[in-house]
Amino acid sequence: MLIPLLLGITFITFSLAKALPGDPVYSMVGERASPEIIEKIRTELGADKGILRQYGGYLQLLARGELGRSYYTNRRVAEDIAIKAPQTFKLAFAAMLIAVPAGLLLGLSAALSRRRWVDRAISGLTISGLSLPVFWSGLMLMFLLSLKLKLLPPSGTGGLQFVLLPAMTLSLPALASLARVTRVAVLDIRAMPYIRTARAKGLGDLRIISAHVMRNALIPVITVIGLDFGSYLSGAVLTETIFGWDGIGRFAMEGIIKRDYPVIMGCILVSTLCFVLVNMMVDLLYQYLDPRLRKR
Amino acid sequence: MGWTARISLGIISALFLLSLLAPCLVPYDPDAIDLDSIRQPPSPKHLLGTDGKGRDMLARLLAGGKISIGISVFAAILSMGIGLFIGLLSGYFRGAVDLTLMAFVDLILAFPSLILAIGISVLMPPGVYTVVIAIASVSWASFARLVRGHVLTIREQPYIEAARAIGCSDLRIVWRHILPQCLPLVLVMAGMKLGGYILTEAALGFLGLGVQPPTATWGAMISSNRAYLNAAPWMVLPPGVLIAVTALCFNLAGDSLRDGFDAEQNKLRYY
Repeated sequence: MLIPLLLGITFITFSLAKALPGDPVYSMVGERASPEIIEKIRTELGADKGILRQYGGYLQLLARGELGRSYYTNRRVAEDIAIKAPQTFKLAFAAMLIAVPAGLLLGLSAALSRRRWVDRAISGLTISGLSLPVFWSGLMLMFLLSLKLKLLPPSGTGGLQFVLLPAMTLSLPALASLARVTRVAVLDIRAMPYIRTARAKGLGDLRIISAHVMRNALIPVITVIGLDFGSYLSGAVLTETIFGWDGIGRFAMEGIIKRDYPVIMGCILVSTLCFVLVNMMVDLLYQYLDPRLRKR
Repeated sequence: MGWTARISLGIISALFLLSLLAPCLVPYDPDAIDLDSIRQPPSPKHLLGTDGKGRDMLARLLAGGKISIGISVFAAILSMGIGLFIGLLSGYFRGAVDLTLMAFVDLILAFPSLILAIGISVLMPPGVYTVVIAIASVSWASFARLVRGHVLTIREQPYIEAARAIGCSDLRIVWRHILPQCLPLVLVMAGMKLGGYILTEAALGFLGLGVQPPTATWGAMISSNRAYLNAAPWMVLPPGVLIAVTALCFNLAGDSLRDGFDAEQNKLRYY
């Protein structure tokens, strides 16, 4: 399953790269190179061969960890991404640390107080959370917490006080979707016969919720966590840009502004791979969590 | 339709109508630069103030609304069309067609959506159509998946067999008997996705990949004015509020559309 998917993804990024405006050979050697040199590089790149051969060459380059060089800094894109990846990981992790407990708690309390004002209030909050553009809610948080109250530094990369603002911003949509999914999952499961059985056995509410409801609600909840974590790892382009967080997302944004195509394409490829791998891991986790999904 | 949905759709329609009528309502050209009155706070002359080039914020906000809502609706229609076509093809003919198309659908769904939309909009000259295509080429896949699943169950129904028995062509069966059944499903999905399209359009605008300046878009207004967040908040707050309100209204309408649709389906199932 993984191999065809990876082939497909690399083929799409390859096609995107092929479709880019401008001739890659010219951008490597400049406009004034002699025709012989251009011809030589073209042969080296395999630009005169068929599309499948070119794709093969592209895969070989990728296998060696080669993503090309930036047009502007002439640094290897793969190296730059490797330097910035830990920052992106740190931010994504911090955001999930906020989003997961808060989202679960909100979703659970909404489900348990179904149809009453708590449920309505939480549902209203979560749907607003899903509707806020992160780049704007980020600016608002920055405005409030660092410009007005002067609690946190507005931007930069670094320790806890720097990571808090972007992590809060990033956690908002994840928190909201997590709360919604948890609420629906808990409501569905509470209607199941085995919950009635548990209640008939005389188990307390707390035990029913922790042992029966939450454990069964884990599958949809973990799917959402995986999707969000994956997309944060793939670079929170907007959040990182606003807060000047030096990760993959901001690197991609700089590439976009300067139309630095190797950088953009490298970021897209690495991001997508991260996203796919995280979701693959979630799939594996399902089988661990739910014995029914294990292959016999 | 519930009251939330009616009110939400009312707000969006009002906003869109206002943005279409803006030239008659606001006495300023949204793109007219007036360097004598830059960064003016809200006043009777400029109700929502002016931006860094002295352009009237109200006029620009309304102009941006036309673009944001227009692009999102247009992208929803396009994704719906492509999704219906691919889904019908895949679900009705099954076999190799189905396998190939669904492999492609899974591939598109495997991408983080904003990243793929960025990749596509980088390729094309920026403009309204590029944004529409970028959004649609990412989001048609989920429509196709949904339609295919539905078609797979419909095509086994007795009335389809009857239609085939009396000699209806494939085209007629799909067009007259299957497509109409898929429409409500697809419309509900489009309703639920529209809020996301508003956010994607705004994000692309913010990244400078949307409709290009001087044309006003909400996302681009936030990105170009955000340096003045502290000094001139009226330049940054309103576009964000409008994005959030529009997306929220679409999300609320979509949710209640889905709830109504589910209730309808259950009625059919139980009675």
